[in-house]
Amino acid sequence: MTLKLDQSWQAALDKLKTWARINSPWAIHFNSGSCNGCDIEILATLTPRYDVERLGIKLQGSPRHADVLICTGPVTRQARDRLVRIYEQMPEPKFVIAVGSCALSGGAFRGCYNILGGVDQVIPVDVYVPGCPPRPEAIIDGVVKLLAKLRGADPSDTPVVFDPDSAGEAAILAGEDPVEGPAHAQQEEEAIA
Amino acid sequence: MSTLTALMALLFFPGGLIILLVGLAYEWADRKLVARFQNRIGPRWFQPLADIVKLLAKEEVVPQGVHPGLFVTLPVIALSGALTAALYVPVFGLAPSYSFSGDLIVTVYLLSLLTLCTGLAGANTLNRFSLIGATRTLTQLFSYEAPFLLALLGPALAAGSWRISAIADYGADRWLILAQPVGFVVALIGLMGKLELPPFDAPEAETEIVAGALTEYSGRGLALFRLGKGVELVVGLTLVAAFYLGGVANPIAFFAKTLALLGVLAGLQSLLARLRIDQTVGLWWRYGTILALVQFLILIVWKGLAA
Repeated sequence: MTLKLDQSWQAALDKLKTWARINSPWAIHFNSGSCNGCDIEILATLTPRYDVERLGIKLQGSPRHADVLICTGPVTRQARDRLVRIYEQMPEPKFVIAVGSCALSGGAFRGCYNILGGVDQVIPVDVYVPGCPPRPEAIIDGVVKLLAKLRGADPSDTPVVFDPDSAGEAAILAGEDPVEGPAHAQQEEEAIA
Repeated sequence: MSTLTALMALLFFPGGLIILLVGLAYEWADRKLVARFQNRIGPRWFQPLADIVKLLAKEEVVPQGVHPGLFVTLPVIALSGALTAALYVPVFGLAPSYSFSGDLIVTVYLLSLLTLCTGLAGANTLNRFSLIGATRTLTQLFSYEAPFLLALLGPALAAGSWRISAIADYGADRWLILAQPVGFVVALIGLMGKLELPPFDAPEAETEIVAGALTEYSGRGLALFRLGKGVELVVGLTLVAAFYLGGVANPIAFFAKTLALLGVLAGLQSLLARLRIDQTVGLWWRYGTILALVQFLILIVWKGLAA
């Protein structure tokens, strides 16, 4: 049963839907064979220090309630069926973020007899967050890139989240590496504290 | 009252749309207060609205093994029960839209409809987490319902009426919290049990049983249950404020008193850890009911001596 709407109404409705989706990404966390390093970083992301609830991000227990599947670790043969089942239990529209080097490619476990490789070998992945393990800022940045993708913008254009004074851009202009640069790291610590 | 004004009262104001929005605003205030108590910044003001719109726009998965008709109608019944209850209480400091002798009992039962529907929704699915959640929801219903009703009957007995507007008028002249402090505490904590707020969130304990009775619900059904809970929060706070806190005669008093109560609820939520379901039952039947009954007895004796 589909309702046919006028073009402008349909556009307004789509806009409202996109707005709601961008502002309320509920996540579920699945470990498909990780060493727990990335999982601890994800838990750190959910602590009051980073307080992702101000972005509307909430950790849900049930895949039926979730919009975003945050997946860590290489996919082992044992975990494959569970990962696919969790993914299929989620209602549309659903998105997947692969967190950590192992989830991207298999990482240190690549080529093992019991490893299928990265998460994208089994289910479609929307955003890749590299790192071993990635910092909470990187995970939040991954979510923000996903939301930018939803909005239809180019994900690579999104600003760095934990950077109110755009120290990252300043670092790039100064020729430093924005992630590894000492100025940025210091700024970041101040921003969080 | 003509059909048109009745429909207006039911669908727009003071029931219906407005109370849904106020329910969302109160949910935001609750989440924000809890976040501030936990030294966080907390959600933005439109967060509950965004959650609801997103859920409404999502796919609704009807899992295998459920009764599809029940699965679809239970959220609707839950929300309509909460909305109907809003017609009988003095929300926004206005007189209730409808009033008849004994509407207190009807309102209390309408408020229980949400919990009953949640329990049935959990029992309807084959999911084991839903089943455990449903069992806990209904167990909790049986534990808090009697003391909550007793706590609301205290003011009714003092006012000598079962009509909410009459009790509210009686309570407007005096702060019944001073005369019946036990009833106030039991009513407030009963409301927390009704809304499954911490420490009474064993039925939806996400660290144990995924999401409780609503584990299998996605999209529209979950959105309607959440809306119903928001409405019930407002209606319950209105009842407690009108009965115990000197009435809600005008909108300013309504918002001031209910928000103050909400602040107390949020403080208790962040202060207390989750109780096991047997501890919940024990708390209500060993202490809540006994204390409410003792106060009830004192009231009856007092009334008898005064008469």
